[in-house]
Amino acid sequence: MSPALRRVITPVLLLTAGALVVAWAHGSADPAERGALAIGELAQRIREHIQLCAVSTALAVAAAVPAGITATRPGLRALASPLLFLGNVGQSVPTIAVLALAFSVTGIGFRTAVIGLWAYSLLPVLRNTVAGLAGVDPDAVEAARGMGMSPAQVLVRVELPLARPVILAGIRTAAVVNVGTAALATFVGAGGLGDLITTGLDNQRDRILYTGAALTALLALTADWAIGSLAWFGRRPRR
Amino acid sequence: MIEYQEATKRYGAGPPALDSLSLEVPAGETCVLVGPSGGGKTTALKMVNRLVEPTSGRVLIDGNDVAASDPVELRRGIGYVIQQVGLFPHLDVAANVATVPRLLGWERGRIDARVDELLDLVGLDPAIYRHRRPDELSGGQRQRVGVARALAADPPILLMDEPFGAVDPVTRARLQDEFLRLQQHLRRTVVLVTHDIDEALRLGDHLAVLAEGGRLEQSGTPADVLARPATPFVADFVGAGRTLRRLDLLSATDALTTDSPAGEGPTVASDATLADVMAALLSTDAPAVRVAGNSSVLGVVTLESIRAALRDGDGRQDPGASP
Repeated sequence: MSPALRRVITPVLLLTAGALVVAWAHGSADPAERGALAIGELAQRIREHIQLCAVSTALAVAAAVPAGITATRPGLRALASPLLFLGNVGQSVPTIAVLALAFSVTGIGFRTAVIGLWAYSLLPVLRNTVAGLAGVDPDAVEAARGMGMSPAQVLVRVELPLARPVILAGIRTAAVVNVGTAALATFVGAGGLGDLITTGLDNQRDRILYTGAALTALLALTADWAIGSLAWFGRRPRR
Repeated sequence: MIEYQEATKRYGAGPPALDSLSLEVPAGETCVLVGPSGGGKTTALKMVNRLVEPTSGRVLIDGNDVAASDPVELRRGIGYVIQQVGLFPHLDVAANVATVPRLLGWERGRIDARVDELLDLVGLDPAIYRHRRPDELSGGQRQRVGVARALAADPPILLMDEPFGAVDPVTRARLQDEFLRLQQHLRRTVVLVTHDIDEALRLGDHLAVLAEGGRLEQSGTPADVLARPATPFVADFVGAGRTLRRLDLLSATDALTTDSPAGEGPTVASDATLADVMAALLSTDAPAVRVAGNSSVLGVVTLESIRAALRDGDGRQDPGASP
């Protein structure tokens, strides 16, 4: 199967799987389940989930990519290890603890969940930005400098394009992990598909629980596909 | 003209990377910095485009200290070729060659025309190679693109750091030939770094032999360096084969003698080297080789006259020889 074909087939499969899950969810005879799994309810939970992930991942990229660039500039290399250390801390503290910490500062709601997810997804982006830039062929950089590119031009025209696949891989990891982790946002009252899972657990309604879990998994696969496509379509050199 | 004035580079304690180099590279000439690794060749080269700043001393281009110029502006006016070529792997051949013209803000049509012209110049058909990626090229082709890229904005100065080091010997010889052909009609001021004495003798109008610790051991024409190594280091570096190498640099007419022995013998043209004559002597039983001018035989060369020519070269400017 050609890579292009795979790019097209994946979303078709994901949509089909999503439709099957929704159809199955609606097959319930239980009024409580039918209420929690109404189309409008599901759409709302999915929307919240996507918002949580999109906002936290975007903020993580906005913080970690510039930090990674800074840490790889000549003269600022000393910053790399403390920054990576901070990222590691964010990564290794359990998400629920990060959420609890954020909760103690900002209370319940969307903002708290985003802070927790943001802290958790900094590391993959930061680590890959540093690794990607450090892995750029030093000869290409030397040639670029020697031909009269300013430091900013070397970064934009040579280093970032060459590091792009690695940086995007970090963003992809962060986004996919975030989709799964965002299911915990329900504990700080930020909604999302985690609501379905906890509702299902609390009320012993497995259909609700499974629907929430399945949709979360499908959403993670979709995020993986979407960012992968971004990398794939951008891989051709621009003239 | 490029002029080094006691240019020195130190990294921390210990011996300097380049020790008080004073050297002039006249406009339009190829100066080869040659020596073993650790001789400061690359350091000296990079001082010209300020990738390395001298610890003390100066480098002048046409009388102006490069330290006074903006490094980015300076570099755009100097072609730069490095050993590993350093092509941008994410850009195609045309975009690589167009790097400096784009930095200079040339318009699209002019850039495209220049790219095709340069690819032709380095022997790559633009129709075939313009849109190839670097990873689709052979080592030799990459080197050619590297040279085309360095020449793109028509810089008067070209810096080449082991430009033919990363290719096989056959390709290297061909690239050296092409370099000589290009340089013959471009007449750029070239500073070229190599550790290969044969390459240095072949390409240089002028050699500067650098030893470990960045000391300049000798500077002079290839013939000078071969005939009269200034120090034991240079003699050792040019090697035991230096006499044979000198034959390549001397013309058949340098060893002409008129006392023509009788009999048949091979004939060479007057632009032949003494190495050609030697080959003719060794491959026949003849005691002498005739050297033919345009219409007549100029004279003959014998083993004795070759010896005399080599001695002559040794003695002519040997400070040790008494008059």
